[in-house]
Amino acid sequence: MAIFGPLSVGRHALLTHQRALQVTGHNIANVNTPGFSRQRVQLEPIPPNGDRTGTGVRVAGVDRIVDPFIEARQLANGSAFGDAVAARDLLQQLEANFPVTGGGIGDALQEFFATTNALAADPASLAARGELVSAAENLAARIREGAGAISSFQREADARFVQGVSDTNALLEKVASLNREIVAARIAGTSDNDLQDIRQEALRDLSQQLQLNVVEQADGAVNVFARTGTALVLGASATNLQTEPSAATALDGGSLSRLGVVGDSGAFIPIGTGFGGALGALETLRDTTFVQTASALDALADGLRLEVNAVQAAGFDLDGLPGGDLFAGTGAADLTVALADSRGIAAAQSANPADNTNALDLVAVQDNRTIAGLGGQTLGEYFGSFHAGIGQQTRSASDQAIIEEQVAGTLAAQRDSVSGVSLEEEFTDLIRFQRAFQAAAQLISVSNSMLDDLIGLVR
Amino acid sequence: MIQRVTQSALVRVLSANTSRLQSELVRTQAVVSSQKRLQTASDDPVGTALVNGFRAETRRLESLLDGVGFGRAVLGAQDAAIDEVHALLTRAKELAVTFSGGVQNPESRATAAEETEQIERALLSLGNTTVAGRHIFGGLARGNPPFIAFDDPGYDPDVNGSTYSGPTDPFSIQTAADQLVRLTTPGDQVFDDAILAVHQLTTALRNNDVDTPGTGIIAAIDNVEAASEGARQERASVGGRLGRLNTRDVEMRDAIVGARTRQGEIEDADLTQVLIDLAQLQNALEVTLTAGQALLATNVLDFVRL
Repeated sequence: MAIFGPLSVGRHALLTHQRALQVTGHNIANVNTPGFSRQRVQLEPIPPNGDRTGTGVRVAGVDRIVDPFIEARQLANGSAFGDAVAARDLLQQLEANFPVTGGGIGDALQEFFATTNALAADPASLAARGELVSAAENLAARIREGAGAISSFQREADARFVQGVSDTNALLEKVASLNREIVAARIAGTSDNDLQDIRQEALRDLSQQLQLNVVEQADGAVNVFARTGTALVLGASATNLQTEPSAATALDGGSLSRLGVVGDSGAFIPIGTGFGGALGALETLRDTTFVQTASALDALADGLRLEVNAVQAAGFDLDGLPGGDLFAGTGAADLTVALADSRGIAAAQSANPADNTNALDLVAVQDNRTIAGLGGQTLGEYFGSFHAGIGQQTRSASDQAIIEEQVAGTLAAQRDSVSGVSLEEEFTDLIRFQRAFQAAAQLISVSNSMLDDLIGLVR
Repeated sequence: MIQRVTQSALVRVLSANTSRLQSELVRTQAVVSSQKRLQTASDDPVGTALVNGFRAETRRLESLLDGVGFGRAVLGAQDAAIDEVHALLTRAKELAVTFSGGVQNPESRATAAEETEQIERALLSLGNTTVAGRHIFGGLARGNPPFIAFDDPGYDPDVNGSTYSGPTDPFSIQTAADQLVRLTTPGDQVFDDAILAVHQLTTALRNNDVDTPGTGIIAAIDNVEAASEGARQERASVGGRLGRLNTRDVEMRDAIVGARTRQGEIEDADLTQVLIDLAQLQNALEVTLTAGQALLATNVLDFVRL
């Protein structure tokens, strides 16, 4: 070996451990970076160069420490997590509009029939009539508020859907852009570890918006497909999702959005339904859950209106005139009290103002089990079932969200276990590489001393 | 089991645990402050439907109780009035019997007629009795009294037969889903015969007519007796209905207590248990934060000197 051999070995070692220290520093710097995967320097000996001894150490590569199965599970769980959380958040807000502690539709319904009973006891009393009209107005207002809440949450679900599509587009663009950079980095032979981390984090965020199928390509890019089969990202190209008003009419009479892409001809092409994730949940809430809930409340309002008005029509008011409608409207959203004057309540079935026979029929409405659309239940029982149904849906969504959060937490912990940065490990490496660096410097110092000695021989 | 623990895992677990405990604390706090286990429908969907049912049942029974209370007042007043009618008719009969004898002279009979006229006026007054402004023998209507006033020029039972001009429709209240109790006692049935009999007695006494068939004092004895018997029968009917209302009142009050008890069993919190839970959660949160502080404060930098 030449006299310069140790000097060369020392130089390689210095450079190698300097690089190792840089990787360790990179890990330490990213200890709190979401989605960062720790990196590990691969050291390898430099083989002999025509001699029997090796010539030092070099960096074979910098590995990104990940478990691809955990990463894939996180993407799969992401859509279930996004679905459950989106459903829970909106349903919990809806549920708050139907309180169990009193003051809601149930109480207003009970109060309405209590005032019909008071009217039956004193049919000519203007006070009793006034209380009945007031209770009817309160009941109609509570039912309208309930319908308004359902309608506003449908509108909110649609707005969140549109916002979700916008967020999804940004993420798709990010993934496509990172695909481009990763392919370029591989061609250039530079590390793409950090780019992969950023892309994986974007995919994790994307998976919460909608269910994904991610296919890795040989060049390092990933192609991303929606559950519906629509290609979202192909290499460096991202699909720009669009929303436009659908043919469906919202509960508030406005339009709702549908998802699609703009084709080459510039025409809007719908891409179906059932995307999974938050978008899927919002779509289900908007198009099914809230519509069914509104329809159920409509049945209550219609049953009340038609039945009470039918009793009114069979009687005579305080002035001996045939009874007019007490309630007006076409459903829950526009239920109002039609009577302007409480004298118009038809308590009698004769011209006698003290006659309460029709008021008794009004009282009996609360026991009627043959009201259309209520499934053989009384108005009170039907509202109880309606209320319990909202509770059941919210409970189910909350339970599902808890499960998905626990799964997400477990997967995140497992990922941390594999890919997360441990400062203890990094400092150990720091000391290890620092010592190796010092030793390499010492080797160069010794080699330098040897050279001095050698040069000294010829002086 | 996590084999390799990293800084982010420590923070994530600590954050998740404190968040979960704080969320449970907030909920438990709400339960303590409201003393209601049922905060939202999703806490117990089946219980929510049941509570709605019990609340509706309670409110309905309360409103029925109001009606029953009014009914008891009406029937109680009718019972008292008819009792008074019976007493007045008994006195009228006593007078008729007393002044049908030969020892009485026209002057004493004229004096007795003054008393029977007062009885007639009292009967009319009883027939126009009101409760809360409603005529209890006039179909529970408000406004004009059902019986013509004694001093009214049109008042003449002999000619008109009936002095009643109120409604004749029955008036009932609901005491249960399928039960009605009639509150009205027809004023004409209770008072017409009595007023006519006493009026005829007064006329006979004034005319010193003892034994003319149909119009004399002796004939009035039978008429007053018959009217008294009619009043007795109406009173029995009133008493029966009043008894039903009294029974129903007790039943409904018991039912309200029962419904409220069952409602409370579903929606009320077991305060002792909730306070224990609250204390446990507070302890758990404190311990979690203390442990988290110890874990996060332990840093390799404190032990490594580079």
